[in-house]
This record gives sequence, structure tokens and C-alpha cells, in this order.
Amino acid sequence: MQGKQKKIFNKTALYVILALLALVWIVPVFTLVVTALKSKQDFYSGIGLFQLPENIAWGNFINAFTKGRLFTYMKNDLIVSGFKVPLGILVEALAAYALTRLNIKHKTGIFIFFLIGMMLPMQAALVPINIIYSKLNLLNTYFGLFYVYIGFGISFGILILRGFMKGIPKDIDEAAYLDGCNKWQMFLHVILPIVKPAIATLFITDFLSTWNEYLLASVIINDNAMKTVPVGLMTFVGEHGTDYGYLCAGVLIAIIPVMIVYLFFQRYFVEGMAGAVKS
Amino acid sequence: MKKRVKTNIGSYIFLMPALIIYLSVIVFPVFYSLYISLFKWNGIGDMELVGLNNYINLFVSDPIFITALKNNIIWIVLTLVVTMTIALALAVMLNKQFKGRTFFRGFFYFPCVIAPIAVSIIWRWIYNPSVGFINEFASLLGLDFSQSWLSDPKVSIYAVFVAALWQAVGQPMILFLAGLQGVSTEVLEAAVIDGANGRKKFFKITIPLMKETFVIVIATLIVAAMKVFDVVQGLTGGGPNNATQMLSTYMYSQTFTYNNVGIGTAISCIMVIIMMLVIVPYVSFTAKDD
Amino acid sequence: MKSKKIISLLLASLMLLSVIITGCGNGGSETTESKSGTETTGTSGGSGKTSVTFWTLSTRQEALDEIAESFNAANDDVEVTISYYDTDGIKDACKVAASSGTLPNMWFNWGGSLGRFYVDNGATYDLTAYAKENGWSDIFTSGSLSLCTFDDQLAGYPTSYSVLNVYYRKDIFEQYGLEVPTTFEEFEEICATLKENGVTPISTAGLNGWHVMRFVELLVEYYAGEETHDALSTFDESWDNEYVIQALTKYKEFCEKGYFPDGFVTANPDDTRLAMMTGECAMDIQGQWYDGQILSDGGDLSLFGTFALPTSGTSRVSAFAEMTQFNANNSAEELEACMRFMDYYYNDENVEQYADFYNLPLPKIGSEAPEKYINIPTIMETAETNGTFTITDQAFPSEVADGLFNVQDAVANGEMTPEEGAAAIQAAVEAYQSK
Repeated sequence: MQGKQKKIFNKTALYVILALLALVWIVPVFTLVVTALKSKQDFYSGIGLFQLPENIAWGNFINAFTKGRLFTYMKNDLIVSGFKVPLGILVEALAAYALTRLNIKHKTGIFIFFLIGMMLPMQAALVPINIIYSKLNLLNTYFGLFYVYIGFGISFGILILRGFMKGIPKDIDEAAYLDGCNKWQMFLHVILPIVKPAIATLFITDFLSTWNEYLLASVIINDNAMKTVPVGLMTFVGEHGTDYGYLCAGVLIAIIPVMIVYLFFQRYFVEGMAGAVKS
Repeated sequence: MKKRVKTNIGSYIFLMPALIIYLSVIVFPVFYSLYISLFKWNGIGDMELVGLNNYINLFVSDPIFITALKNNIIWIVLTLVVTMTIALALAVMLNKQFKGRTFFRGFFYFPCVIAPIAVSIIWRWIYNPSVGFINEFASLLGLDFSQSWLSDPKVSIYAVFVAALWQAVGQPMILFLAGLQGVSTEVLEAAVIDGANGRKKFFKITIPLMKETFVIVIATLIVAAMKVFDVVQGLTGGGPNNATQMLSTYMYSQTFTYNNVGIGTAISCIMVIIMMLVIVPYVSFTAKDD
Repeated sequence: MKSKKIISLLLASLMLLSVIITGCGNGGSETTESKSGTETTGTSGGSGKTSVTFWTLSTRQEALDEIAESFNAANDDVEVTISYYDTDGIKDACKVAASSGTLPNMWFNWGGSLGRFYVDNGATYDLTAYAKENGWSDIFTSGSLSLCTFDDQLAGYPTSYSVLNVYYRKDIFEQYGLEVPTTFEEFEEICATLKENGVTPISTAGLNGWHVMRFVELLVEYYAGEETHDALSTFDESWDNEYVIQALTKYKEFCEKGYFPDGFVTANPDDTRLAMMTGECAMDIQGQWYDGQILSDGGDLSLFGTFALPTSGTSRVSAFAEMTQFNANNSAEELEACMRFMDYYYNDENVEQYADFYNLPLPKIGSEAPEKYINIPTIMETAETNGTFTITDQAFPSEVADGLFNVQDAVANGEMTPEEGAAAIQAAVEAYQSK
């Protein structure tokens, strides 16, 4: 049975390629993990990059929470990301829906207008935002931070959601209208469920970029108790030198929530459109 | 007539939240930047109107700017050719049904999640000429290799690119994965019945059906390549001798280190204009045919 | 199902948003209100309490949190709120704040061109009168005060005074029968011997240029002599001269002979200590804080000694200062509150208790460093006996400094000859001057 043999061959080839790539990919991660396990003394004893130290420096992880206040930063970041992401996606979905399916003039023009936001380097926005916020007393508030984050996320969100919504055939719309749906119902009950993979993707990428955002967070938030993770991680960097084990431990811990979000949402890639198309 | 008006207003309400937030967070800074770029200003003192001089000087008498521009173009090309291809290949491979698929997907996405500062640190060690991984590995294989990856101006930009590639490929990969879900199996099966084999199937059917995904990926990759900052700043700071200077790192130096706020803002405006010149036609073109 | 989820999410977010707006608007209230040092905060009048804000480096946080707490407890008419930043972050934060008029009441800054920016643009409080009234010339060392003075305006409260020496591994020197050099030629011989025996003589790293600069500026001092070097630093003498070319040629020679680690041009200067600790390198140009770092890394300080590199004349060493600057718009009460806190922060008890978080010795007359830091007295002495010059990256405006750093990279990589390098530096100077 040639077909079957071919299938097995293809599958094996697939595994081999992936395994090789994975090996290459893992080297930096391995370095990160191994470093997090080393104490300062280990570094200065001339240990090799990949050698595991004799005594695992659990102190690094403990310090990350106590001295590094990592727990506070993670909690803050969760608050910020936890609100910004769903809210942002909602705002973007509404706009994308309008741009693909509603009766609005100059749809493409408006879409391109929204795209410009993606191109603006964040550094350019620092001073104007700081000026406005200081006048409105929004400095050092989470609301101020959300607002800016949502603003910067709009371009990418609309780009993705609009793209996916465009891919939905118009027949579905017509069928829904015939069933008596109005715009809102169609948005909520018909379109949104279909673009689940897009929303899932957006959830992951948006959460990630909000979680790791450093520049705006460091300028808008001064209160130490309110700092987010990337700003907090920078405090692990010393003035004349860095305790790398400590820093890497902090980095590893900070990754956990993002991976959880990823693992939770990535299953939506599997579901796909099969169900939606059929209906 | 009345019904018409009602529909339209109702439609605009959907756009309102995004528009309001966008106008205040993005559009205002854009105009502010355009305005500032016409002045000579150090951030605190008096502003001196110089019109388009900042722009002209950048192109005519600033070799560092030209180098940065050239480097960004190289980076964009590399990103589109290398990063996108690898992301697509990975997505296709990981779209097939096999055990451990979820694990591998998470695995290749994982580097995206790591804080940029850690990425710089890790790769700096890997590239370290004496104890770094690459050179050690090479010496294990018996090759006499003491290439200094980051300090060699001929190689450094590519070395930094590899680090950036490692970190960034997960993002377009999951975008492609999401897009692949939209290629319905029915259409694919129909194609097989029609006699299309693997490769034909892929190029003639799958890719065109993923058109929207490609628009998204290409647009975001070009923007990311234009704005690349963290990994370059962390690994080489734009050095050695501007070999890896990018528009964003140069803009940062001009604005925050040299206090030439007018020049720095002019550089960001140039960046935005270049991106618009490339992306807007591309997106409008693909957006038109419907 | 998903739609219901979204609606409930939306409602929940809206509810919580309203809580947050009302909550956070007041939660960070003290910081938000007193942040705008440019407007009258109104906090001093009402409750009789003066609130002041202080921005500083996060490396001090452990000590400062406690110090601030005890200060606030002991003084119920003053409240200090501190915000922490990393070394790059604070520069950006201060620049952005200066441009938008939101600088705090007091902030940490380096001397030289970094600190001078705020002074030149009127963002700092002129302390000249205050210093006279309070007898600062009897409290602080003259060296530190002069580094905090720009164009006759005293702009900062001196908090740190650093001097650079060449740190060396005594045991490695002993092993190869080497002694502390008394001439530059002897120094070169030492390097040659070390290299022959497989030790990289000098640990340095070129990322962002300032560490390599510490060596290059000593070369300039050697070839140009003290007077010319000073003239060069103030741009009264062109950098396109024979001395600079000689200095760059010697630098190039050192690069080619492998006296610096492989690939040093983009290595991170924070890591030079690693090579010294493992014995891979035998010398590193550092300031007196190195003693503290070696100890906290678990190293054996008895293995390390220091010397001033023999250059020309009295073999001057490089020095620089750090300070706290004050907002020009501070009211008299706010300034007073700030000063009380600064005096408290740097009083003897706190310095003794939190010694590791200060750069000792303090720039105060009669201040000493803990005994365990065996090299510090020697280093500080070289400042007195040999004299000092301002470290180049503080003497230069940042643009010109970057020009110098580019030349350092280019000469090391063979992209520029020393002659071209000297010309390039002068070109950077002229470009800056014609700005």
C-alpha cells in the first residue's frame, strides 16, 4: 500500500524536522533556565554556560518574590491586562464589524486611517500623552494606562478582526437578516462566534504585549506599588552589574501567567470554522 | 428616508468607542510630532522654527541616518523573506494532525513570551566569543572558530536578526495557524477530488484562501521591522560604530540622549511616512477587490 | 454562549472601571497631587503638611523605603514619596517629565553634561545662596561641590564622588613577578608579560562606549599632557591633533595585540567584573564602588589592589559626581522639606546602618568608608595627591561622546585609522558647536 507508506514517511519526516528545529529553539531557553538556578558565586567560579551548579540557587526565586516584589508587579499587570484585553477586543470588534458589514461611507479610508496607529513609534507619543495626562490628573492611574494601551492596540485589533470578518461569506448575513436579526444580534450571536480563532489569537497577542509593555508603563506609573512586571523586572538590574541568576529567575516567573493564557486560548485554533460554515 | 438615517447613525455607534480613543491616543500625538518636527527644540527651552530643515539635514548631511535607513530596509527584507517563510512553514507543519501538536505549538511560541531584556542577555551569552554556545559548539566539532558575532560590523546585524527571529517567529506563526483554520476542509477535499496534489493544493488554493491572513501578517511584519528597537538596543546599542543602528534606536538617541527633540521627532515622522507609503497601497489594493 | 460571556465581561469591566476611576484617582492621590511641582500643590496650605516627591534609582530601594518611613514618622509636617527607576529609565523619565512640566520636587542625577541639561534650561533650583547660608563649603568636599557647579550656579546636593583607578589582581601579578608600574612603559611591559602567559591584560567592554573610554582618556592624558587634555575637554583645542592620533594609535596597538578580551567592542561593561574574578583578566579600570561589589559577589578582596595609571605629570585620575537636583519651582517650604529629607538620608546613622546602599566615602568632609573596603582609602588618596580631571563622558555633550565611542569601535575594528578617528571626533565636536 504505497499510500500508507508515504503517509508514515511523511509523518516521520515531520517529527524529525520539528525535533531538530525544537532542539535549536530550545538552546536559549535552556540557558535562561540554567542561569536562573545559579547563584552569584556560581557565576564567578567560572562555570560553563550550560553546566548545572552543584547547589540549585532556589534563593533566586525566593528573592524575586521578597526583595523583588514580583508578586505585586504580577498582580498589577494582571489587573491591567485582565481589563484592557477584553475591553480592547470588544472595542476593536465593534469597529471591525462596522467596517465590514455596516452601511458606512469610506470604509476602506477609515480602515487605513486606523492603521496609522500601528506605525507610530511609542516613543513619539510619550511627551504628548504625559502632558495631557498631567493636566487631567490621569498620571499614575490605571485608567490612564488602560486608555493608552487600548488606543495603541486598536490598529492591530481592527486589522485582524476585520480581516477575519471579511472572510465570512455574506450569505450568512442574509440568512440571519431573514431570520429577523438586527445589527446587534448579528454582531453578538452570529459574527463573533465565527471569528473565535481570531479573537483567541488576539487575546493571546494582546495579553502578551500588554503584559510585557515597558515604555508607557514606566512613564505613566510612578507609584512603586502600582508598577507592572517589565518595569519591575528592570529593578532587578543593578547599577554597576546584574545578578543574572536573580534576574533570570524573575523572568521565568513572569512568564507563567502568559503561558497560562496561551494554553487556555490556543485550543480555539483547533475548532476552526467547520461548524460555522456548515450552519 | 427616515429608516435610512436611523440605520446610518446606528452603524456609526459601533465605530464610536474606537474612534474616540484612537483620536486622543494616536492622532493627537501624530499631529504633535509633526508640529514639533518643524522646530529645533531641546525639550525644555525655547523652540526655534526651522521648517523642513530637520528633514533635509537628515537626508543630506547625516550619514548615520542613512545607515540606519539602510539597515531597516535590510531588516524588512530579511523579515519578509526569512521570518515569514519560517512562520508559514511551521504553521503548516503544526496544522497537521499528530500527537504532541499542541506541545510543539506552545514550544515555538514560547520565545515570544520572554521579556525583551532577557532575550538580549541570553543571546549575548550565546554569541560570546569565548564561552558562548556557538563557538563552544563549533570547537566541539573541531572547527577553529573564534568569530566575534556581535562586534564584527560585517556580521553583527545578521547576528542580531537571528536573535530577533528566534523571539518573533511565534507571533506570525499563530496568525497563520488561525488563518489556516479558515481554509475549510470541504474546499480542500474538493480540490483533491479534482486531482490537485499536495504542492499545487497548497499554492493554488490554501494561500489564496488565506489572503486576508497574509495582509495581516505582511503589514504587521513590515511595521515590526521598521520599529525594531528592544533587541537591537539590548544586544549592540546600535554599534559597533553604527553597524546595527536602526531608525528607532537613532531616534531614541536624538530625542532622549542628545536632546535634539525636533530631529528625533522628524525621524519618527519619516518612519511613519515610509510605512504608510508601503502598507497603504498594499492594503487598499487587497481591500478593494470584494 | 460566547456572546453571553462577552456581555457579562463587558458589564463587569464597566463596573470595575468605574470603581477604578474613582478609586485610583484617589488611591495614588498623594503622588498625583504633589507630582506637578510646577503648580502650587495646595497640599502645604491645607493640612499643614508639605508633600514632596523624590525620584531615584531602584538599587537604593531597600534602604530608602525604610529611611523614608522613619523620616515620615518622625516628621509629621513633611511627607516624602519616593519613586524608583532603573539607570536608563530615570534618564528617560526625567526628560519626559521636563518636557511636560511634571518633574518631581527632587531627583537623582549625574553630574556633567547629564545634569547640566536641566541647569542650562532652568529646570533646577539655584542652590548657590542656600549653600552659602548653610555653610556647605564646610560640609561638602570642594571637589564634589565644583562638580555640581555649572557656570557659577550650584545645582545639586552632592551625594556621591567617585574616583577611578586601575584595579589589578595582586596574586596574578605576583605569579608572574610583576609590580605596580611607575611609568607607562612599565605598564606596557606588564601587559606584554600577561599576554604571553595567557592572561588578557585589561578587562573592558565596549557596549555604549564608556568603559573603553576610561582607558582611552588616560591615553589622551598620557600623550597630550594635563593642560592640553583639559583644553581638549572644553573644546578649546581641536581633537584633530597629533596627541589624539598617538593615543588612538596606541589604543589600536592594544587591540591588535589582544590586550582586550575577544569581541569586547559589544560586550556589556557590567560584566567586566566576571573576567577579573575568574582570573581571565588581570586589570580593570573602575571606581571605588568595586570593593563593595567584589565583596557582595563573594570575592576575596585581598586579591585586589589598585594603582593610578602612570600617565604624564602627576598621573591624574578620572573623577565624577552624582547629586540630587531640585525643582526650580519648589516653594520655600518644599525646598526646606526636601533638604531636611536629604540631610536625614545622608546622616551618619543611616549611612552606617545601610552602608551598602551608599557610594562611600560620602562627598562630605571627614567622611570615611567602612574598613572592610581596603582599597578605598588608597583610591581617594590618589584623587588628592595626583589630582583629578572630569571623566570624559560627563565632560562631553552626549552627541560628541557618542562620536568618540563610534571612533573607539571603528579603530578597534580597523574601519578607521587613528588619523581618521581623530578627524571624526573633531567633526563631531564641530557639528555640535554649530547646532
